[in-house]
Amino acid sequence: MTESSLSALGAKVVVAASCDENHPPENIIDGNTKTFWMSTGMFPQEFIIRFVEPTKISAVTVDSYNVKHLKIEKNTSRNASQFEPVTEKEFEHTEGHLQSNAISLNGSNATHLRFIITTGYDHFVSVHRVNIQN
Amino acid sequence: MVKLRARCLLVGDAAVGKSALIHMFHSDGTLFQKNYSMTTGVELLLKCVNIPETNDSVELYIIDSAGKETLVEACEKMWGEPSLLCLVFDLTSEQSFANCSRWMERVRAHCQGLHVPGVLVGNKSDLSARREVQASVAQEWAQSQGLEYHETSAREMENCDAPLLSLARAFQSLYQERREIIQNLIPG
Ligand SMILES: Nc1nc2c(ncn2[C@@H]2O[C@H](COP(=O)(O)OP(=O)(O)O)[C@@H](O)[C@H]2O)c(=O)[nH]1
Ligand SMILES: [Mg+2]
Repeated sequence: MTESSLSALGAKVVVAASCDENHPPENIIDGNTKTFWMSTGMFPQEFIIRFVEPTKISAVTVDSYNVKHLKIEKNTSRNASQFEPVTEKEFEHTEGHLQSNAISLNGSNATHLRFIITTGYDHFVSVHRVNIQN
Repeated sequence: MVKLRARCLLVGDAAVGKSALIHMFHSDGTLFQKNYSMTTGVELLLKCVNIPETNDSVELYIIDSAGKETLVEACEKMWGEPSLLCLVFDLTSEQSFANCSRWMERVRAHCQGLHVPGVLVGNKSDLSARREVQASVAQEWAQSQGLEYHETSAREMENCDAPLLSLARAFQSLYQERREIIQNLIPG
């Protein structure tokens, strides 16, 4: 089975707190763990993914580095505002390889998912891939 | 081009010149606070530093804490997790230099074991006749703490940009170093 990347499905990253031109937020949804978005200092950090249409999500998988605590919020509106909390998770620290976490969203319906990284294991964190299971 | 962001703690005893120094930097050397008022709490200043010969910049969120003993605890609550440290003492006060190690301990407790680049600043270099702390002594202690040492005079606008510029540079190289590590990671 080949999984489509979120960007191939038309999803977009509409907001990201940090930006390094060489590591733009689009790298989060291109399905490739070699490309990444990197935060450029201080917490919290966040990014918002918009789907083309309301989407039922059973789980998200996040490949990242140095993320300590992640909160996920969602909405079902056309605008990236008025989010409601869905879940949060403490990630384990890894060294030399990526963190890979699957987070259950219990079939939530969403048009936007907001990822808030509240703390990290270092000054900077990176997110390499976010994917969803329907 | 990268725009970095750092939370910079400004600490040191009361009256060593922290606020004067930072206001100098903040306003690019055009203003010196002449009316002395004991800082009462925490002041937040935002300063964007362009790193020379690069397209990178660092936005410094500078947290100026009161040095008064009675206010220290209230201030510490505002420190959060610092990215950078600027520790200031008064070159004409041996005591303010001796207290630097206590400031270091306090700050370290907030760093969650992370490496936080820092500078030690000996201020009031214009009062050379009243100097109580020799540069070599300060330099040596700074080195033992992993801090870069600078001497400044907020009054004479001497060297006031150097400490924050060196902090911004240190943060940029930390970023580059971490980015390199991340580029070489393998999937989990
Ligand atoms: N001679 C001299 N006086 C200074 C200098 N910097 C600050 N001061 C004076 O030292 C006093 C304390 O300064 P302030 O910035 O409020 O200290 P803070 O409590 O550390 O923030 C004030 O009277 C300032 O005018 C300096 O470089 N040289
Ligand atoms: Mg002050």
